[in-house]
Amino acid sequence: MTASTLSPAPVAPAAPQPGRRARRRQENLAGYVFLSPWLLGLLGITAIPMLISLYLSFTDYSPLIPLTEANWIGLENYRRMFTADQSYWHAVQVTVTFALVAVPLKLAAALAVALLLNRTMRGISVFRGLFYLPSLLGGSVALAIVWVSMFNRDGAFNSFLAIFGIEGLPWVNDPDWALSTLILLAVWQFGAPMVIFLAGLKQVPVELYEAASVDGASPWRKFVHITLPMLSPVIFFNLVLETINGFQGFTSAFVLSNGTGGPVDSTLMYSLNLYIAGFVDLNMGYASAMAWVFLLVIGAITVLLFNTGRFWVHYSDNEER
Amino acid sequence: MEPITRAVTPAQRTTRRRLLAAALTVPLLLGAAACGDDGGGSDGKTELSIFWWGAEKRAELTDQALALYTQKHPDVTFKKTWQGNQGYFDKLATLTAGGNPPDIFQIDDNYISEYAGRGVTLDLTSYKDSGKLDVTKFPESLLKYGEVDGKLAGVPLGENTQGLVYDKTLLTKNNLPEPKTGMSWEEFVDWAADVTKKAKLPGTQDASAVYQALWVFLRQNGKDLYAGKQLGFDEADITKWFALWKGAREKGATPTPDVIHEGNASDVSKQLVATGKAGTSWVWANQMPELKKSTDNELGLIAYPGNPSAQWARASMYMSAFRGSEHKDIAVDVINFLANDPEAGKILGTDRGLPPNLDVRKQVAATVEDPNMKQTIAVMDELGKRYGPTAPTVPPQGHSKVRSELVRVAEEVIYGRQTPEQGAAAFVTAAKAAIGAS
Repeated sequence: MTASTLSPAPVAPAAPQPGRRARRRQENLAGYVFLSPWLLGLLGITAIPMLISLYLSFTDYSPLIPLTEANWIGLENYRRMFTADQSYWHAVQVTVTFALVAVPLKLAAALAVALLLNRTMRGISVFRGLFYLPSLLGGSVALAIVWVSMFNRDGAFNSFLAIFGIEGLPWVNDPDWALSTLILLAVWQFGAPMVIFLAGLKQVPVELYEAASVDGASPWRKFVHITLPMLSPVIFFNLVLETINGFQGFTSAFVLSNGTGGPVDSTLMYSLNLYIAGFVDLNMGYASAMAWVFLLVIGAITVLLFNTGRFWVHYSDNEER
Repeated sequence: MEPITRAVTPAQRTTRRRLLAAALTVPLLLGAAACGDDGGGSDGKTELSIFWWGAEKRAELTDQALALYTQKHPDVTFKKTWQGNQGYFDKLATLTAGGNPPDIFQIDDNYISEYAGRGVTLDLTSYKDSGKLDVTKFPESLLKYGEVDGKLAGVPLGENTQGLVYDKTLLTKNNLPEPKTGMSWEEFVDWAADVTKKAKLPGTQDASAVYQALWVFLRQNGKDLYAGKQLGFDEADITKWFALWKGAREKGATPTPDVIHEGNASDVSKQLVATGKAGTSWVWANQMPELKKSTDNELGLIAYPGNPSAQWARASMYMSAFRGSEHKDIAVDVINFLANDPEAGKILGTDRGLPPNLDVRKQVAATVEDPNMKQTIAVMDELGKRYGPTAPTVPPQGHSKVRSELVRVAEEVIYGRQTPEQGAAAFVTAAKAAIGAS
């Protein structure tokens, strides 16, 4: 906007016509008006509440009192988080474990299935649809409920194991395994990155494979030396997106543990811990502080990913940049 | 960037202007529409919002009782919202934060100190003094249980006490004796182990995570859960408690840890005696008829083990009014009606506990037909004669956190990740933080 107002007048008229500036201003106004639904949303639903929560993170605010009655307690919430709250660090540990395991597995599953589906075959779109289906259900509550009943002591999974004479565990109610079932659920929903991988695979020039075939390269070599480098921007994109998603996991943990993070805090994800602090323990100031630390850490991780990207993400040269 | 230049024809200009106008008007209209729906007002009609937790049965009964109020006061109608216990208080907190909590809401001793302490609930003392709220027929200790820092924060809408519910059918089928009020904790554990052996079903839910069972146990040992705004127990007491249940698990009296964990959920329908996964469950006496709905088996009800004089008449839940409500007087009148009106009392029965008004209670006891409610009333009457002289006062702020910490730590011990001693130390630390911090 500012650029266009500052740029020199176009070639045709020598002197600026009268009323021209006014019209320009009018045009700008119209632009802002059309922008307003989004702008109001950004300010009202995102920016202003975020600033308020930043303020609240330095107070003892509880949802039961008016905002104006919250007492300023300085850095106390942050001090408590870093030095006194064991469950906070436990939640950090659970979340990091979840993200470190679930994200690579999910990306690997998505890439593997995308490779399988990247061929011309009758009915291939049906298969693509079927594999995408679990992701359509998204982070839904219903899916998590199904998951719990499947991985119960007398759930479908153990009935399946029983066919082979194996006695299963009460997966979701076992503190050693509950998080694994959540990871499995996340991995199973690999549809979104898969679709993006598929699109990326279609962009890899066929000539490269043909040339490699002529040189007698094995399928594995082709995968490592052609597919992976050509796909690296897409891998990078998926990695960033899924990492952010992974850290924010909430719904399935909430449903599986009845909102407690149990058994024995084994599914106490960061967001769930934050929710409990704010809405169950009614300590919204503390929850706000947790949210801000969370935001900063996720931001830092994203920046870190972008920096490492320089070393392994290849943008092909024939693309205009 | 290239500057955009375009000749604007008059026709285009009008369209643009029209669009502009439309873009400006639509949100304004929407805003106006949102403001127009304020309810109440000139025609003398009042709509009160009311919110409670419970199962379907409670919703039916409450609907009927409120309909009766509307029948008597045609100008007052209700906007009713109800849901299960899980998530109820999250929602209530959210509504309160949003500045529009319901005019009347159900609350219990988990949270009443939090809400009263932060001035959300209306202080009902003046209504009590002026007689607009009639509490003259309430038992003294029950009414006191609604007072937080000298303010009457809620009207107890039911009275209950700890109740051990057992599966009668299971016992008869296997020729096993029924448990009796007054048996010691050790006798009870042995009885449960015997049930497990003969009935091939775990005799009892592990009570180590059940705060009201711990509470009774503490009182039987001359301690309490709280002493004012401090803890009423120490590590040694909790070690004893956790060790008692460790022994019970080793004797086979309880289910496996994962099933115990399932039974520790707060919903009545998940109690193991209802889901058929154990012979006994630790609940509140008024919940027995509700439990019965989930099972075909006959159920029995007794006091928790040990000396029953440690139990007390507890307000199972209260009705409170929102201090910022626009219709405070009517809200109080509705609460008064639910607590004292004989007809309303007859409709509500013992679903929320024994009616708080002793006259209504007598009348309900005489006319109630549901056999499980009958049994509940009989057992509570019997226990009522044996209560000790001192009842605990309402728990301090942080009580609900103490409860969830007990579940967490007790399960650490149940899953074998901590010894009873370690668990006791962890729980005392966590409980102190919970009531000190808030």
